Amino acid sequence: MRVKDVDLFQRVQSQDEDALEQLYDRYEKLLFSFSFKMTNNKFLAEEAVQDVFTKIWSKQRNFDEGKGKFSSWLLTVTRNTCIDLLRKKKDTPYELEERDSLNETEPTPEEELEWKERGEEVRMAVGELSQEQQEIIELFYFKGMSQSSIAEKQDIPLGTVKGRLRLSLKHLKGILKEKKERGVRDDV
Amino acid sequence: MSKHDLLLDYFNGQLSEEERKAFEEHLTECADCREELRELEELTEDLPFSSEPVAPPEGMKERVLSNITGTAGASDAKDNPEPSDNTITLGKESQQPEPKRKKMSWYKPLMAAVLTLSLAGNGAALIYMSNNETTEPAPPQETPPEETPPEETPEETEQPTLDIVQQIHELQPSEGVDAQATATMIEQSENTNLVVQASDLPPLEGEETYQVWVLEDGTPFRAGTFVTNEQGVGAVSYLMEYEGEHQFDTLAITREPNAHSEVPQGDILLSAPL
Repeated sequence: MRVKDVDLFQRVQSQDEDALEQLYDRYEKLLFSFSFKMTNNKFLAEEAVQDVFTKIWSKQRNFDEGKGKFSSWLLTVTRNTCIDLLRKKKDTPYELEERDSLNETEPTPEEELEWKERGEEVRMAVGELSQEQQEIIELFYFKGMSQSSIAEKQDIPLGTVKGRLRLSLKHLKGILKEKKERGVRDDV
Repeated sequence: MSKHDLLLDYFNGQLSEEERKAFEEHLTECADCREELRELEELTEDLPFSSEPVAPPEGMKERVLSNITGTAGASDAKDNPEPSDNTITLGKESQQPEPKRKKMSWYKPLMAAVLTLSLAGNGAALIYMSNNETTEPAPPQETPPEETPPEETPEETEQPTLDIVQQIHELQPSEGVDAQATATMIEQSENTNLVVQASDLPPLEGEETYQVWVLEDGTPFRAGTFVTNEQGVGAVSYLMEYEGEHQFDTLAITREPNAHSEVPQGDILLSAPL
């Protein structure tokens, strides 16, 4: 039977190299792709993945099972790591990668398959949002921008950023939920 | 701004250390903010999956894993000292732990990528070179490689490219230099690829690089730039494309203040006649 993520995580924290490799294999591509989306730079993305696993191995981050799914937690750690790296590297100019120049390869393991399906759903759902709503999600979530920078960028009062973001995210969630329910009906 | 308004900046790690602590304290008292934070986490949980799949760079797994286990090795020794009072000694030397691989910093993948590239592209040549390692330095080739090539048949259907090793040169270190290098010229289709591999080079500082040159009557042409790893090993694969006809007579490696020297500024460390 497949070893649970949480069990692997605990073994990694007790310095089990095999468990580290297994956990790494499970999440390498998702974390790298997400980090690349956040940083738009392959070297920073690799550094982010490195940092995430280092934090787990050296017990700088702890997962609390009561707080939800391991994968969600891991992605949150990754996102925070990317934001940190972006801040640190802000003064260092680096070339932006052309997204087209990167190979898109077929995911194989089951997580990647799930990710691919889910990813398509999310991207389609995002596509149904208005331009403004897409932008505020991009600026807030993927660019990790401060509230004031978002207000400036979107030319809206500071006080309305949170409301607009929340509305956009809720709208997105609603579309996703609808898709899921429709999907279930289609399957039957 | 009231405390409640710091939620987004808290979520995005945009608060100062002080503000962050204050906000976390506020969170323990304010159920509304806790609820908002939880909702924000929930509403964003699908978003990472919208990232387009991107293939991780070559060798990333090895780099990441060895960095982690390598770094941990040091702290391990501190945290859980193994009982070392084992007095039973066998006839052999006491077992030494495997040396952990060195930690690499974030820009190193660049260099590794260069190495991988030259190794992958010229695998055959490199194997050939290492087989030759123990033999005498190759004497200058009897037949000049510029001999009239056999008649081309351009209409031929596409064929797999065969890389042909044209020349192999062991570079001679200059006086006071203790380094080795080999240069291999490989014919790839119509072009010549120069692969230089060097070891035992002194460490570089700052923006310094090692530069390969080919010289024609004392005129230098750039022929590849490389940096060394912590073991003083470096390699570069360079496509020799120069305007006009040339009869290069010398190949040399110098140490340059940066990667942009148009003429050598450093002394020649290693060289070979061509």
